[in-house]
Amino acid sequence: MSLQFAAAQTTVEFWYSFGDAKRSGWVQARADEYNKAHPGVVIKPVYKGSYNDSLQATILAGRQGKSPAMVQIFEVGSQLALDSGMFQPISSIKKIDYSDYLKPVINYYTINGKINSLPFNSSSPVLYFNKDLMQKAGLNPKQPPTTYGGLLAACKKIQAAKLGATCFGMSLNGWFVEQWMAEQGATLLNNANGRQGRATESNLNSPAAAKIFQFFKDLKDANAFTYSGKLEDWDGSDAIFTNQKTVFHITSTADIGNINAAATKSGFKMGVGVLPIPDSTKRNGVVIGGASLWISKNIPKAQAESALDFALYMTNTKNMADWHKLTGYYPVRQSSINLLRNQGWFLQTPLQLVAFNQLLKTVPSPATAGALNGAAIESRKDIEEGLQKVLSGTPVDDALKETKTRVDAALKEYNSNFK
Amino acid sequence: MLATKRGAYLNSSSTNTIKPRKIKNKRSGAPEERATFKSPIVPWLLLFPTLLILTAFIYYPAIKTLLLSIYQANLILNTQRFVGIGNFTDLLSSPAYQQVALQTLVFTVLTVGIGLLLSLSLAYLASRPIRGAQYYRLLLIFPYALSPAIAGTLWLFLFNPDIGLVNRFLEPLHLARRWLDDPFLAFGLVTVAAIWKGLGYNVVFYLAALQNMPTDVLEAAEIDGANASQRFWRIIFPLLTPMTFFLVFTNIISALFDSFALTDILTRGGPAYHNAGITTFLIYQLYEDGFINFKIGTAASQAALMLLLVAGITILQFSLGERKVHYGS
Repeated sequence: MSLQFAAAQTTVEFWYSFGDAKRSGWVQARADEYNKAHPGVVIKPVYKGSYNDSLQATILAGRQGKSPAMVQIFEVGSQLALDSGMFQPISSIKKIDYSDYLKPVINYYTINGKINSLPFNSSSPVLYFNKDLMQKAGLNPKQPPTTYGGLLAACKKIQAAKLGATCFGMSLNGWFVEQWMAEQGATLLNNANGRQGRATESNLNSPAAAKIFQFFKDLKDANAFTYSGKLEDWDGSDAIFTNQKTVFHITSTADIGNINAAATKSGFKMGVGVLPIPDSTKRNGVVIGGASLWISKNIPKAQAESALDFALYMTNTKNMADWHKLTGYYPVRQSSINLLRNQGWFLQTPLQLVAFNQLLKTVPSPATAGALNGAAIESRKDIEEGLQKVLSGTPVDDALKETKTRVDAALKEYNSNFK
Repeated sequence: MLATKRGAYLNSSSTNTIKPRKIKNKRSGAPEERATFKSPIVPWLLLFPTLLILTAFIYYPAIKTLLLSIYQANLILNTQRFVGIGNFTDLLSSPAYQQVALQTLVFTVLTVGIGLLLSLSLAYLASRPIRGAQYYRLLLIFPYALSPAIAGTLWLFLFNPDIGLVNRFLEPLHLARRWLDDPFLAFGLVTVAAIWKGLGYNVVFYLAALQNMPTDVLEAAEIDGANASQRFWRIIFPLLTPMTFFLVFTNIISALFDSFALTDILTRGGPAYHNAGITTFLIYQLYEDGFINFKIGTAASQAALMLLLVAGITILQFSLGERKVHYGS
């Protein structure tokens, strides 16, 4: 009897990367609900460290035949996850109606016509601004800058007002360059961002890339930029903004909740605007960042189906709306947005609305679908170092040329693994 | 890990002190007394647990690493392509890796040199019979008790250019600097942080050595009219050489391997300077290639090169130890 019961039980391990109580608690609560409603299934969420660590752990576990059923993998790891051969496309497990998912989100995870993973926590960058400091500098907080030129013009006024704060600051992260390429409708990599075939070269010699690097040169020349000095230091640059040492800041929508709370504590009003882009450029929209849910290949069918079923439960209309309210990540479904609208959520917190429109107005194309790159982690750092060099005085052309050489070398080395 | 590494050095140098050559010669004439096992199996049986653990955790991974170093391999893809000595020639001819090696050398020389000089001075001052000496000692030792992660985070926030405490004090004097993105300042900062972090450890050892210093020799010197500086340089300093010798080598190993956590948190190996991040040292480069970019083939080659380096240092330690160190009569 007990043996029969054990056989009927399907255990689904779900490895994720949220170290904080808020988000991991939410995941555990959804698992508990699901387990109660499905007596034959046990969903076991396990925190496995950073995205990098958990990807590594998954692959090593898979080699020993102990794959977790489901893993949360960050978007830059998509190509690696695909190439590892450890996962199965979710579209082959069960037929799912994807029409409710936001197009730009599902586009990112569609590779060779197959949907490989289920979008879960998605975000994109937005402009944060200190309304009080803007007013002091004679700027209208209702009209935050939307272009590089607009931002630089605002910087002049801010400097003239002598506020004791730098105009603009952000964490140096390759992610932003990927976004700015997409906004200009430009692909970061050849072969349609690596979506028509493996990417072999970067497009960092394009005018679109030059505009981004030039923006940092202009900021440096105007003394209008600051950051902690460490690459990818999200916390450091957030802290500079919330301590009112910068007027403008760019970071992920996922931080709207946290930064707003810190701003209130620090005694200023914060606003959110669209990501500023190069002047006289058509806004093409953003690439969706964040992570998605992948299901392992070498597991029993029942386990794979239960994993997907739980993933769909966790990302259903109500849960995604709830997740969005808790964290600031986008709800990835149209029906969730409708639900939030009916609840009057956007009237209460217009901050999030800007971010939504930015995502919803995204024009589908290989540029906004995002770059697929097995060496994406390394490329990002190369790009960050390129920007850092521009900030320390290297001419834009030289920095771009060097960055392109390094990114291309990383791509070439990655591709040579398949020879 | 750290404790065992240092412990091993401690043992090796203390065995040096215990058995100078003379005794060996004296003994060689007399028949040696030794316990013998009746069966040759017993000693192996007793050694077995140790060997098992060493094989599983040291020998096997080390051999695997050496084997891996001749392949281009990716951890995630599980691909291996034989490249022979390709990884090594790539590394040694890469301007980035050369720069990283040079940076590591400068960093090591600075942290060990300045670190030991400073520790000795502080330990000497703290060993003087002054009021509250025990409190000074405690304060000197405490940085060693901090984990490198906490120390790194502390320094990161202290030296944040906009909201850090350091610039807040320097601002009114117009001395505020960009500590973490100016290459020279960032390098200096990491060096100073590493020296500060290792200070406690070195001071403890020097203090112990100073407190165990034979007083008769010092008294004799004083009676003979040696002044304070003469007493220090002619008597105390030579008597300290075994300790200095031991500390030089533990500090070199620590600069090579333990600098990792501090740089990861404080600078992430940056800022970019010429071909590499200026605070990217050999161990950080290895970590980044192996565990961030998953290129385990080249990471294994770097591990092999570092093994050679440590082997070289060890040989140097033993050959120098025989000749230059004064262990007293």
